[in-house]
Amino acid sequence: MNLNDLPEDEYFTSGHTACPGCVAPIIVRNMMKILGKNTVVYTPANCLLVFGGTYPYIAWKVPYFHEAFENTGSSISGAARAFKKKRKDVTVVGIAGDGGTYDIGIQALSGAAERNEDVIYVCYDNEAYMNTGIQRSGSTPYGASTTTTPPGKKIPGKLEHKKDMAEIMRAHEVPYVATMSVSHIADFLRKVEKAKKIKGFRYLHVFSPCPTGWRFDPSKSIEIARKAVDSGMWTLYEAEYGEIMDIYKPKKKIPVEEYIKGQGRFRHFTPEMIEELQKWVDKKWERLYGEKP
Amino acid sequence: MYEFRFHGRGGQGGRMAAEALALAAFLEGKYAVSFPFFGAERRGAPVRAFTRIDDKKIRTKTQIYEPDAVIVLDESLLETEDVLEGLKDDGVIIINTQRKPEEIELSREVRCATVDATSIALDVLGKAITNTAILGAIAKATGEVGIDSIEKAIIEKFGARLGKEAGEKNAKAARVAYESTVVGKSKGGKQFEPKPQWLPTVDELPLGGSIGTMETYAGLVGIGSFIENKTGGWRVFMPVVNDDKCIGCKICWFYCPEAAIKMVDKGAKTKKAVINYDYCKGCGICANECPTKAISMEREVKA
Repeated sequence: MNLNDLPEDEYFTSGHTACPGCVAPIIVRNMMKILGKNTVVYTPANCLLVFGGTYPYIAWKVPYFHEAFENTGSSISGAARAFKKKRKDVTVVGIAGDGGTYDIGIQALSGAAERNEDVIYVCYDNEAYMNTGIQRSGSTPYGASTTTTPPGKKIPGKLEHKKDMAEIMRAHEVPYVATMSVSHIADFLRKVEKAKKIKGFRYLHVFSPCPTGWRFDPSKSIEIARKAVDSGMWTLYEAEYGEIMDIYKPKKKIPVEEYIKGQGRFRHFTPEMIEELQKWVDKKWERLYGEKP
Repeated sequence: MYEFRFHGRGGQGGRMAAEALALAAFLEGKYAVSFPFFGAERRGAPVRAFTRIDDKKIRTKTQIYEPDAVIVLDESLLETEDVLEGLKDDGVIIINTQRKPEEIELSREVRCATVDATSIALDVLGKAITNTAILGAIAKATGEVGIDSIEKAIIEKFGARLGKEAGEKNAKAARVAYESTVVGKSKGGKQFEPKPQWLPTVDELPLGGSIGTMETYAGLVGIGSFIENKTGGWRVFMPVVNDDKCIGCKICWFYCPEAAIKMVDKGAKTKKAVINYDYCKGCGICANECPTKAISMEREVKA
C-alpha cells in the first residue's frame, strides 16, 4: 500500500488533547486506516490513553478498552481467544508506550508472545514515562536528562544504555517483529499492512519523538525521527520467526552528534559522552548489519 | 491579602509566572505562596495557577475563588469560560492581547489591563512563551509588586533554570511589557452558558460503563465524541497553504497529528491540502515536512 491508496476514513478523530507535534496520534491514526473498522484496541496507562479518551469523551471510533499497566499482553490474549471462540474475525490490537512494554508490561507481553496469541502488539516508544512527567524507563538512551536522571556535576544523566526490546521480541521467534518510524512512510505502511495479514503474534515497535519530553520544537518531530534512523540510533528491520528478513540501511550514516543536536535532553553532553553513545551505536550497527560502519 | 489567579494553557508557563510573582513579593519582604492546578491534561490544555501575597503569615491553603486580580495568558480562553468568575468588584483583569481594554467584551465591566505579551515574547525571547512578559503587566496594573523586584525574581528563578543570559532576556521582556501595558475599562454584558457535565445515574449507564456514541444533554459522548472538542484555540502560528506550490503529495495529510488536513479537489490537476483550523494546534510539522515548501507558518491575529 502506498500513500495514495491509504483510506480517507479516520478511526482516531480530531479533537484529542495530545501536545502539539506529538507523534503518537500520527502513528495510531495512520495505522488504524489500514487495520480498519474491524479492530478492537486495548491500551494500558500511557499518554495515548489520556489524550485519546477522557471518559465519557473518546477519540477512537472502534471499540476501545483501558486496562491495567502491566497486563496488555494478557488482555489482548483473552480478547483474541474470545473472538476465536465466537468465530468472529476481529483484529485485536494492544497499544502500549515504552514504559508499559519495556518495564511494566514485559511479563504479560512475553507470555502472550510465547503462546503465539493471534494479536498485534504495538509499542510506541518515546523513550521515557512521558505521561507522568518524564521519568526514565528501560528505553531511555544513555545520558538523556529526565526528571529521575537529572544531569549534575557527578552523574551526567542516565548512566545505562537503551534496552533493545525489539531484539528481545525477536528472540521469542514469533511470526512477525518489525521496527518502524513514521519518517519512512512507505516502510511504515508496508509493515502495518503485512502485520495485518499474518496470523499469530505480531510485534510492531514504532519510534515516537516527544517534543515535550525531549525538549525540541514541535515542528521538528519527523525530522528528528528521520535523523534517528540515519544515525543508527534507531534501526528499521523486520523479522519472521526470529530471522531478519529485511533491514533498512541509511544511504549515508550521520554521526549521533547530529541527531542529539537540538534536543534539550542531550544539551549537557560532553565530547566524551557523545563518543560513548557513538560507540554504542557502532556496536549495534555491527551486530545488525554484520559489518563495520 | 492580595490574591492572583492565572488562566493559561499548559506550556505557556502560568505556573512559573505564579511562582516568580510570589518570589518577587518575597524579595520585597512580604509573605507569599503559589501553586498550580491542573488535571491530566497535556501541553495546550487550560491550566490555572494561584499566588497569594500578604504582610503577615498566610494560613489559607485553598484554591482562589475570589481573586483581586485575574491574569489571562491566552486570549482564546476568554471565549470558553467566564474568567471573571469571583473577581472582586475593585479587582483587575490582565489580558495578553493585541486589543485595547475597551474593545474587550467580558461578563461585566471591570478594570482591565492589556498587553501584547506574545509579540513581546517573540521579539525579545524568540519564543511564544508569555509568562515573563505578563509579569511586567501585573506590576503595572496592580502595583502590588514593583517592577524592579519582578526583574530580580525573574533573573533568579529563570536564570537558575535556563542560564544567566536567558534570565536577563526574560527580565527584559517583563520591562518592555511594563512599559507597554494599557490600563482601562472592559466592556461588560457577555453571556456565558456553562457547559453541562454528563452525569448519568446508575440506571442510565450501560453494564460495565461501556458506551457507544450517544447524544446527551452535554453533547456527544462515547466513541468518536472528541470531535466536538475544538483544539484550534491552542495555536499561536497558523499554517497557510499556497495552492500554486501544493503538488497534492499528501505528505502533510499523513503527518497531521490532528487529522486536520484534507485533500480537496479544487479543479486543478492534483488535489490541494486544506487545513481545518477548528482542530489545528499549530505544531508546524506540515510546514516543516512539505517538500515544495507550499505551507508557511504565519502569526495568527485573533479577532
